[in-house]
Amino acid sequence: MALRFEELIERHHDEIFAYLWRLMGNDGRRDTATDVEDLTQDIFMRAYESFAVLRPDSNHRAWLYKIATLCAYTQLRRMKHRRDKLSSLKHSPTGPATASDDSSSRKYMEQRVRALVKVLPVKQKACVTLRYLQDLDYPEIAQILGCSQESARANVYHAIRHLRLALEEEK
Amino acid sequence: MTKHTAKDDHTVVTQLRSALSGPVETVLTRSRTRVRKWFAAEAPLIQWGEMSSPLGSLFAAVNQRGLCALDFGRQESEFLARFDNRARLEKDPKAVQRVLAQLREYFAGDRSTFNLPVDISQLTTFQRSVLDMACRIAPGQVWTYQRIAKELGRPRSSRPVGGALAHNPIPIVIPCHRVVASDGSLGGYSGGSGLKAKRWLLRLEGAL
Repeated sequence: MALRFEELIERHHDEIFAYLWRLMGNDGRRDTATDVEDLTQDIFMRAYESFAVLRPDSNHRAWLYKIATLCAYTQLRRMKHRRDKLSSLKHSPTGPATASDDSSSRKYMEQRVRALVKVLPVKQKACVTLRYLQDLDYPEIAQILGCSQESARANVYHAIRHLRLALEEEK
Repeated sequence: MTKHTAKDDHTVVTQLRSALSGPVETVLTRSRTRVRKWFAAEAPLIQWGEMSSPLGSLFAAVNQRGLCALDFGRQESEFLARFDNRARLEKDPKAVQRVLAQLREYFAGDRSTFNLPVDISQLTTFQRSVLDMACRIAPGQVWTYQRIAKELGRPRSSRPVGGALAHNPIPIVIPCHRVVASDGSLGGYSGGSGLKAKRWLLRLEGAL
């Protein structure tokens, strides 16, 4: 029996929401959570429109991720226009109160990583999120992003390299 | 600059996972509820139920307009597969109570016609006109495909008439089984076990 739309919601809502949450650089604030909720609903509405013409043997999960990625790209580009890259870096978190304070040191590092991920090129951000946070494999990532597996690997490599270098610089 | 190792990358990935951990359950639940609510308001609702009948398990489904599907002698999954995969399917015996009650009376020989709103709006105009014509055949009688074609003013359309009857989504209630071939044979039947079921229904109605 072909997959029904309500099953699509039950099976994939949570991971699509988590993907968008991470991709949009959500920091847990209420207003940004609402943005991700809006985006998630928008994605399922778009999916609903074209679901009837989707081939039953399609990879529904990859198809949904593809819609989510395209919508998120649009949103991220809009946000990028609004945001002054430099000022966002200037507003990067200040260092931990004391080096011995593990909790505050970890919190600082998490904020720092989030700030660095936020300014990654969108494709790198999508690739690294899909690979290491959503745990998708490269063939699926390539299908979602409409690129080759090599390109997906290269984007992940550059993203990790950028993060590593930036974090090393601070040591 | 020192050469980096795979361990360094692993450390970055660990930091990444820690910094961008997923949303908390309350946020996730709020979004899931919102999407479910939207879907409930957007998708057409189809409620269905089943009963056992002399022709095997019988399934009936209703939408807002009325009875939209009926079938028997098939698996539940086969019956449900016919609906638009975007529709919201709910098994709800109460919603089809009236339909099933009239069918029970029919199978018991206590009813020969049905008094139910039906929805065949998804069919073509021609298919609908053929099924409307089939509804004019009195219980205990049979018409030929050719007669229906003639009544519709399309005397050369016996074969398309047969095709339209084969698309009847509500057999028994729309009595397509009362249409037979001009040579006296039963013709075709797409409900349940096919011609065996057609013969059984015509016998029940006293037409055979």
